[in-house]
Amino acid sequence: MANRRVLVVDDEIHIVHVVAIKLRNNGYEVISAENGAEAFKMACEEKPDIIVTDFQMPVMTGLQLVEKLRKCEQTKDIPVIMLTARGFAVENEAKEKLQISEFLSKPFSPKDLLRSIEDALYQRALINNEA
Amino acid sequence: MKTARNVYVIGPHFAKHCKMVLLVTAIVAGSLFIEALAGWYYTGTGTEQRSAVYLFVTPICYFIAAMGVTWLGWYGVRLAGGIKSLVQLLKTNNSPNIKPTGNAIINELGDAINEHFGDSSICVAELEKQIRDLQIKIQVSQKREKNAEAIIYSIRDAVIVTDEFDKLLMANEAAGKLFNFDIKSSQHKPVGEFINAGENKFVDFLRQSRQGKVQHKRLEIDFSIDDGLKTFDCIVSCVYDENEKVCGVVAVLHDITREKEISKMKTDFVSQVSHELKTPLASINAYSEMLLDGEVKDNQTRKEFYSVIQAQAKRLNQLIEDILNISRIESGLIQVKKKPISLTILIEEQLQMIRGQAQEKNIEITSQKPIVFDQVYVDSDMISRVIVNLLSNAIKYTPSGGSIKIETEVDEIARLARVTVTDTGVGIPESELQHVFDKFYRVSTNEAQAKGTGLGLNLVKQIIEKVHNGRLFVTSQVGVGSTFGFELPLATAEVLETV
Repeated sequence: MANRRVLVVDDEIHIVHVVAIKLRNNGYEVISAENGAEAFKMACEEKPDIIVTDFQMPVMTGLQLVEKLRKCEQTKDIPVIMLTARGFAVENEAKEKLQISEFLSKPFSPKDLLRSIEDALYQRALINNEA
Repeated sequence: MKTARNVYVIGPHFAKHCKMVLLVTAIVAGSLFIEALAGWYYTGTGTEQRSAVYLFVTPICYFIAAMGVTWLGWYGVRLAGGIKSLVQLLKTNNSPNIKPTGNAIINELGDAINEHFGDSSICVAELEKQIRDLQIKIQVSQKREKNAEAIIYSIRDAVIVTDEFDKLLMANEAAGKLFNFDIKSSQHKPVGEFINAGENKFVDFLRQSRQGKVQHKRLEIDFSIDDGLKTFDCIVSCVYDENEKVCGVVAVLHDITREKEISKMKTDFVSQVSHELKTPLASINAYSEMLLDGEVKDNQTRKEFYSVIQAQAKRLNQLIEDILNISRIESGLIQVKKKPISLTILIEEQLQMIRGQAQEKNIEITSQKPIVFDQVYVDSDMISRVIVNLLSNAIKYTPSGGSIKIETEVDEIARLARVTVTDTGVGIPESELQHVFDKFYRVSTNEAQAKGTGLGLNLVKQIIEKVHNGRLFVTSQVGVGSTFGFELPLATAEVLETV
């Protein structure tokens, strides 16, 4: 089975770096972007299995990115995990509406992130099998 | 107050005179009776006997009767004269002071009348006193009413008083201004007729409060005023009459727009601070966990991880320092140690420290010193912080190969020194220029260019404007570069002499 591809989106280069190392150590292929606009372009081109994105980013925020992903036929089913440093009041609403698999608040544990990615991919696999 | 009034006892003179008149009348009547009897008895008798009667009895009886009638006539005339003069006196004077007339009865009557009018004049005086008291009370009450009105008019909050039919009883100028109605012409009109701001929410609230009979009710209502939305805290209190029935309401509307804005700013600030603090913490947490879990195998990467943790810890510390410094300056708690110092010296010190950073990016820094005396009276640590902040920002946002120029000018006429830092960097869009000194504000198009807390320029603003009464300014052109500068008053001769 080919390595699962994860798109990591964050304007904090250190976060992208550490997440990439954690995921690569666990057999994932990692691609990265610094903002939502760049990430959307990459999602369309590289078709990642899952996207891990920061909530607050320049140019295009994480929520704007997911809204755009859900409207695009190619990317509408890609699971998304969102990292946020804010107390996120609309979390549940956005989670439901934009089908965000998980919200992880910063500071986060790379182990928890890996577990969330695995869970989200498993859920996606179940849905695909049922379909 | 006198209640039982004017019960006069018949005086002794009146009784005596009554007896006297009766006696005289009886004597006259008796004389005439005797004369009549004598005449009847001696009719037909002898001439001697009749002559004796006519000679003695008849003259005596007639004499007595004549005397009696004369006295009665005289007495009657005197009485009539007395009564007439009394009537005239009563007609011409409300409070006659009747002098003795010589007639005991008239005198007694006069005394009674004098006594009567004496009592009446006491009553009148008492009534006049009561009227004066009432007039004073009315004046006091009017003054109190005016005072109450003046108090209500002087209140900055809008105050509206309505009756049990929701008609306007009183409103102050602030209320008239807020709801745009004329206070005088709107008196006794239903408030719904002239207040329609806030989609009648306010009028409905007044009515509900009155009907609900609750002592106080509170509601926040938004009104569109002067093309802007303003929030008011409306407190409506019921007014009760002596029977504990609600006879109206008093509404006080306090503008809380600013408080709401400040509250939102505080919430935003806390949210922004927590975000800014959590970002470096997230890196520290993730990198240390990876190291602890043995996910990093080679020494080189491990070393790199340690340096990331250290850099993020420094960033965190810097952020906390910046927040604390801004907070200290804002609250006036910071200790300012001002002394006269040359701006050129401060600039040269900071240039020495920052040149290395500029060289790494291949950026040339030039400085131009003033030819005249440029001593300012400042906290040198704070101004050094300003200079280094402006220089490091210029380095951050200037692409490799660019240049930075720091200049100091002295305006002798305005008695101030001006420092400008000009770069050939990415520039700031005009629409964002007004916000660059706001807390946590980062120019969106330049965010990817360099990391920052968004607090540095706010701190610079606080130091220049709040601590040193100076002026901070910026001009910029996208793609050409930016100029950040500040002006500080030159040290005065008095300050220099005291050192």
